[in-house]
Amino acid sequence: MTEDHQIVLEQILQNYDGNKKSVIPLLQTIQERYNYLPPDILQGVCKQTDITPEQIMGVASFYSQFRLKPTGEHIVKVCTGTACHVKRSNLVHEALERELELPPGEETDAKGKYTLESVNCVGCCTLAPVVLIDETTYGYVNSEDVGKIFSAFEYNKGKETVRKKALSNGDEYDGEVRIALDSCCVASGTEKVMNSVRAAVSDSGMNVKLKRVGCVGMCHQVPMIEIVPSNGGEPTFYSKVGPDDVKQILHKHFTPQGILYKLKSRINNFIEDMQTDKTWEGIEQYHLDVGEKQVTSFMGRQVQLSTEYLGTLNPLDINEYKLHHGFFGLKRALTKHTPDEIIEKIKASGLRGRGGGGFPTGIKWEMLSKQNSDIKYVICNGDEGDPGAFMDRMLLESYPFRVIEGMIITAYATQATHGYFYIRAEYPKATKRIGEALKICRELGYLGDNIMDSGFSFDIELFKGAGAFICGEETALIASIEGDRGFPSLRPPYPVQEGLWGKPTLVNNVETYAQVPYITRNDLEKYTQHGTETSKGTKVFALAGKINNGGLIEVPMGITIREIVEDIGGGIADGKKFKAVQIGGPSGGCIPYWMADTPVDYDSLKKVGAMMGSGGMIVLDETDCMVDIAKYFLSFTQHESCGKCTFCRVGTKRMLDILIDISEGRGKMKHLDELERLSEWTHRGSLCGLGQTAPNPVMSTLKYFREEYEAHINGTCPTGKCQGLITYSIDQNCIGCTRCVQSCPVDAIPFTPYKTHSIDKETCIKCDSCRIVCPEDAIRVN
Amino acid sequence: MELKIKINGNERTVEKGITINEALEQDGIEVPTMCFLKGTEHFPTCLVCIVKDQRTNMLIPSCSTDVQEGMDLITNDEEVFEARKMALDLLLSDHVGECAAPCQTGCPAFMDIPHMNRLLAQGKFDDALRVVKKDIAIPAVLGRICPAPCERACRRKTMDEPVYICLLKRYAADHDLAHEEPFIPDVLPPTGKKVAVVGAGPAGLAAAYFLIQKGYAVTVYDKHPLPGGTLRYSVPDEHLPKEVLDQEVDIMKKMGVVFKMDQELPADILQKLRKEYDSVVVATGEDNADFDGLIKKHRSFIVNSQTFQSNLEDVFVIGNAIKPGRVAIRAVAHGKEAAISVDQYLKGEEVVGDVRMFISRYGLMLDDDHDAFMSEANDRARIEKEKFAIEGFTLEEVKAEAERCMHCDCRAKDDCDLRILSDFYGAEQKKFFPKDREPIRKSFRNEPIVYEPEKCIKCGICIKVTKMESDALGLSYIGKGFDVEVDVPFNNPGFKIMEKTAELCAEHCPTGALEMVNNVEVVPFSK
Repeated sequence: MTEDHQIVLEQILQNYDGNKKSVIPLLQTIQERYNYLPPDILQGVCKQTDITPEQIMGVASFYSQFRLKPTGEHIVKVCTGTACHVKRSNLVHEALERELELPPGEETDAKGKYTLESVNCVGCCTLAPVVLIDETTYGYVNSEDVGKIFSAFEYNKGKETVRKKALSNGDEYDGEVRIALDSCCVASGTEKVMNSVRAAVSDSGMNVKLKRVGCVGMCHQVPMIEIVPSNGGEPTFYSKVGPDDVKQILHKHFTPQGILYKLKSRINNFIEDMQTDKTWEGIEQYHLDVGEKQVTSFMGRQVQLSTEYLGTLNPLDINEYKLHHGFFGLKRALTKHTPDEIIEKIKASGLRGRGGGGFPTGIKWEMLSKQNSDIKYVICNGDEGDPGAFMDRMLLESYPFRVIEGMIITAYATQATHGYFYIRAEYPKATKRIGEALKICRELGYLGDNIMDSGFSFDIELFKGAGAFICGEETALIASIEGDRGFPSLRPPYPVQEGLWGKPTLVNNVETYAQVPYITRNDLEKYTQHGTETSKGTKVFALAGKINNGGLIEVPMGITIREIVEDIGGGIADGKKFKAVQIGGPSGGCIPYWMADTPVDYDSLKKVGAMMGSGGMIVLDETDCMVDIAKYFLSFTQHESCGKCTFCRVGTKRMLDILIDISEGRGKMKHLDELERLSEWTHRGSLCGLGQTAPNPVMSTLKYFREEYEAHINGTCPTGKCQGLITYSIDQNCIGCTRCVQSCPVDAIPFTPYKTHSIDKETCIKCDSCRIVCPEDAIRVN
Repeated sequence: MELKIKINGNERTVEKGITINEALEQDGIEVPTMCFLKGTEHFPTCLVCIVKDQRTNMLIPSCSTDVQEGMDLITNDEEVFEARKMALDLLLSDHVGECAAPCQTGCPAFMDIPHMNRLLAQGKFDDALRVVKKDIAIPAVLGRICPAPCERACRRKTMDEPVYICLLKRYAADHDLAHEEPFIPDVLPPTGKKVAVVGAGPAGLAAAYFLIQKGYAVTVYDKHPLPGGTLRYSVPDEHLPKEVLDQEVDIMKKMGVVFKMDQELPADILQKLRKEYDSVVVATGEDNADFDGLIKKHRSFIVNSQTFQSNLEDVFVIGNAIKPGRVAIRAVAHGKEAAISVDQYLKGEEVVGDVRMFISRYGLMLDDDHDAFMSEANDRARIEKEKFAIEGFTLEEVKAEAERCMHCDCRAKDDCDLRILSDFYGAEQKKFFPKDREPIRKSFRNEPIVYEPEKCIKCGICIKVTKMESDALGLSYIGKGFDVEVDVPFNNPGFKIMEKTAELCAEHCPTGALEMVNNVEVVPFSK
């Protein structure tokens, strides 16, 4: 080991017990330092601690967060979430490979500057397709634009100087400017907008208060700001705000102070414009008055319980949370009810696990409460891994105290002693917020010994996942906290009998906990009035895909798919036809448009071959290929399979082989039967939920869209999505403008100005660039 | 504490805390396992031990699930059988390994050629001869005239030229015949039953050779004055000196085979022999002879192609009498296989013939496989000899040529659980085998172990064993999902690994992924 590495390792090791339990956090710290895991350091860890080579390499190679090879200076990540996929992120990925001139199998460019990675859903589905370079997110990227991303990134590097002194002093404000700052918003450029607000306020001396709030749910409209005047006037929303629009908006509502400020700001602006007007923001931005119907209806049909006080709470302002019924539920539980009474109430409420399985929450609690043990654990499962789902991220980021309150109530009801938050690696902001919120709660006596003077003691630790979808499975999650590879284990024994460190353990999903305070705080009927007979309350969904109003919604159980798509989502984008909704992500299924009146509840969804899942809802239109969708989800589960049992490890792989054959024109009719047989056995034979549900996307598309599979086998992809089955050509609309010629990365289009262009089919790599740039819609895909 | 469960419908009381498998064992029911190793932690991966709980219709890995009150276990219905077969089909689709080398499957007599080659390369000629004579009755003869289909199948030809298997075999045979007392195979005690063989050509000789070993009194009838049939009367002397044939026939005589030569073989002879003998093997070659009662079409007798049993259940027909124009090695193979059918018939068993065990195979070789294959072979060129050479190999040549063998067979072929179970459950490797397979890898880096990752079924036993014995570095799962591999952490050539556990791991590996490098020296027929 180099001396440098030795010194760093010594420092790092000071903060950890050198046992198996600390493997994951330890590796995370090493990687934070080096961007990868240098092998000599890992060997050093084994020498100086009780951690064995088998443990450290087993773990380091299991979790996708860990890199065993050095990277370039910057890391370019292409989101592979569902929403990004249906908006063709694969073409973006290919374009990035070309842009960085990566030879096959290489991830880092020759100069060692950029490393290209695919990442699981980053939860900015409404901005799809999304590319990240280090911490900067670029939304709505198309394969034509990838070059511009790099210029924008290079241009802006080191320039993000924030002028913090900008806010005016004093308590008297003319009004409040609210900005949502969760991951989605930050990704869409809200941070820049906020900087513009700061700058504008500072330059003009306006007397306004800037307030950061949690996610407002209208992710398709971000960056969004809300102006709340102090004179009691109506608040006004501005959506898709660009940094340049800020000044104009602010000037409309508030009066600047004196002429000198204006002059000063004009000069500053002039210089700034000169510097910035050529940069590419990556996102199309425009105004939209919130008074418009669309957005009202988007909000109007919803019922907010988990997301109560949406858009008004500053996520980390505990006083504000308390002013909005925060900790009322906990207080009522601790002071007025015995633990058993709480369990009875949760049972009576009909609350079922929001993580997807739908197990009755009260019964799970009762099982834990009946366990005799000096130590019992309560874990919050925040390993939201479904591509296309970002509800839990939003709840953790925007309502950290609500989730914590739910956990404390749970712990009280079950008499648990310790708690854990398990939050996935891809959610750094959520992790940070929860960490801070836990600290605040501890300081104010909501966690720790003798909570709210009730005599009940409980504390929560935060554990960062390291990137493994399987860790959403509760036994795998527990293995992960224990410092192992995320292998699920056989049940029984169930975690409530023998869980973390062999002690009784309850694992509930983020959203389940978020519903708890509302239930304990209010009379039962207030909760049970929402929902259906067997599925009570509300469910938060991440609505994305080919929809007009994408974003986060919370709806009463039993609402129909049609109501969600048409009334809340505002229908299909771009005037296309509604084809299907994919619900439940890789464990779920596709519900076709002719079954849009299916109510959204656990049992109805299961009946039609889908699944509640954690709540991703991707809307598909007529241009989406169902074989491609099935292939997409299966490649996800195949990739995320832990590899333990034969049926999942090999079964999903063989199913994927067949789907690839079908989508590339090598399919045969007998493959469909084989696919069904494999689906059946993978479902029946797999040891855990991942493998058991992995065939669902295939089975449901085969059931409802079999003719599309048959079309592929007969040599055509009806929607023109499957690259192996399509060809590009140019029709008579061509005006010979040569834009396609210039955009083609492989020179498949000869330079013939003012003549109809043509595409050499042999050379064409089907990257779609020509179609994107063509101003005349003359590119045909057959 | 005791639990009440049902096993295949029968009520049983079992102790709490035992696994389903243990409960089934107490009931005398054996469930197959591969990833299970007694004394190590439960980590079910292979799932061939699946049983069904009828209450929930759930499939459960019995090796590591504790019995629960009220379980209604089914271990033997069609669905359970299919589930296990499916697990095996899937495992085989990711098992890039071949139990038997292509030369062996290409040899009609299914002779274990790589084994012979290894022994020849080590100078163990007598042991090599025993391997040969396990399947071939007249190797010295065939070593001179065989068209060697094995060499056409030999993988070495994709590098340069096939191994000269035919001459290697001839060397083993000639070396043996040069002894004062050539090798005589063991003969089982007499069963008291008699078999007549009609025809003393290659097929008849082979049938006699194998039947006598099984304890039957064998009498060979032939119309010629001397045994050998076409070998004696059609093959020119310069290709096959007749002393060689005589010597190999003498061995059979020493074993007790009775030859009745210069016999008339009229059409009614068969019926007469049937009365006198318990079974008759007809090996009369491409003769026009007819036998009463035996159905014939287009000059060939009609038999079951797997068992050689004719329309008369005690009469078996082999060689060119059923398939004209075939080479001697095929006739010799027929003789060996018919002996098995006759034995089954005379023991009153179901006559199924020589049913070959399941063989895993992956088909054609890839360019990327070359290194792995050559890692165990001498890279010198084939030692050429002119066709029908009078002189065979010299001692130096035989060793050198035998070293060219790439040992395409599997070290674990005789005790591979995956193979045994695939055979039992009729697993189909081709069902899901991918078009693009991974190239073969053979790692000798960790001697005395040879590791072939493409054969690994990821059962995890070796990982548990190295962990239990706290072997330095140990073994670990590297990666996840379908691409997971078992490997040494920090795969650094300088490290000593598996010092304590090499043998244990090789022993417990359920397939041929981890084997002792030297287990090929184990010679089952050593003197």
